[in-house]
Amino acid sequence: MTNRYVSEMVARAIAVSMLVLVWFSASAQEPGKNTKKVRYPGAVRPTKAPPPGPPGPVPRMPDGKPDLSGVWNAQRELPGDPEPDMLPWAAALTKQRTENYSADDPEARCVPGGVPRATPYHVQMVSTPKLILILFEGNIHTFRQIFLDRTEHLKIAQPLWYGDSIGHWEGDTLVVDTIGFNDKFWFDMAGHPHTTQLHVIERYHRRDYGNMDVEVTIIDPGAYTKPWVQHRVQILTPDADILEYVCNENNQDPGHLEGDTH
Amino acid sequence: MSIKFAFVASLGLIFGMAPLLAHHSFEAEYDYNKPLKLSGTVTKVEWMNPHARFYVDVIDESGKVTNWNFELGPIVILVRQGWRRDSLKPGDQVTVEGFQAKDGNALGNARRVTLPDGRRVFGGSTENDQK
Repeated sequence: MTNRYVSEMVARAIAVSMLVLVWFSASAQEPGKNTKKVRYPGAVRPTKAPPPGPPGPVPRMPDGKPDLSGVWNAQRELPGDPEPDMLPWAAALTKQRTENYSADDPEARCVPGGVPRATPYHVQMVSTPKLILILFEGNIHTFRQIFLDRTEHLKIAQPLWYGDSIGHWEGDTLVVDTIGFNDKFWFDMAGHPHTTQLHVIERYHRRDYGNMDVEVTIIDPGAYTKPWVQHRVQILTPDADILEYVCNENNQDPGHLEGDTH
Repeated sequence: MSIKFAFVASLGLIFGMAPLLAHHSFEAEYDYNKPLKLSGTVTKVEWMNPHARFYVDVIDESGKVTNWNFELGPIVILVRQGWRRDSLKPGDQVTVEGFQAKDGNALGNARRVTLPDGRRVFGGSTENDQK
């Protein structure tokens, strides 16, 4: 990271802080008045892309492949993707979950978010020639393994939260193919469901030093009538570490997740 | 810790930064129609995940004391905003702005906290979003 980049970041931080301060002062006496209210937060679609990450060339591994290592902000969906085409049961279940304010979201119970759920926390990607790790800061504090040294999926004895992921390179794009899922997690806070037929294909392309384009294709004929393609981006956070996050240490929320029952 | 991180973190604590997301839906638990602004004495701090929590004895007009349980954001977000384990301590006098739980308990989501030294900081709380 260059000093110039540090200076830019500091300047941006000052600018943002001053803006926040202005807004902060204006809203100081009425805590509820300026808070955006959304009836069903899980149904909100992204309206804009996050600010871009730092510029620069793509780091490379000794074999010339892109090095995806780094601490990244969690993936954010980009605007513009259409809603998925669901079977009636899946559409009805998504509606019910959304209208209940996502109160039954498994993620609030500190179980894994599965694939391809984007967490609100940072992730650290670690590239090696034969294995790529995705270390999740939260929720939960766990990891995914993407195996580059085999082309066949394992014979999985039991359905998995993160499935079995194998990867290969197509040019500078890492293609990750994952099957072997359980049906216990939601794709998002809206509550989009799936079945054990789920097959996820992720395409990771580190566009430059600080920006990773991620295309996610969800294939599940048990719940969706055609593949659901999402376009996402994740932004590099230079000079950062992921921190410990033990979700079950003091999770008091489930006893109070009431949905719309009050 | 880099200089940049330290600088941004200190700004975050002084001026506040945008509330970030957490692991559950805000509106499944809290009610935007029940805004709170309460002052009292901190009795306990739980510097733990998935949310840091602190408890405040609040005395109402009749003299009745209620111990409120306030949820902050997760530690990983609070730390990046400049919070530290000892930012709040038992005995501190604080004012908390936020929203009460839908179930009507003495439970709140702390959006802003005025610390004993007068700094008014964000709570790193849950926010509306799809993730």
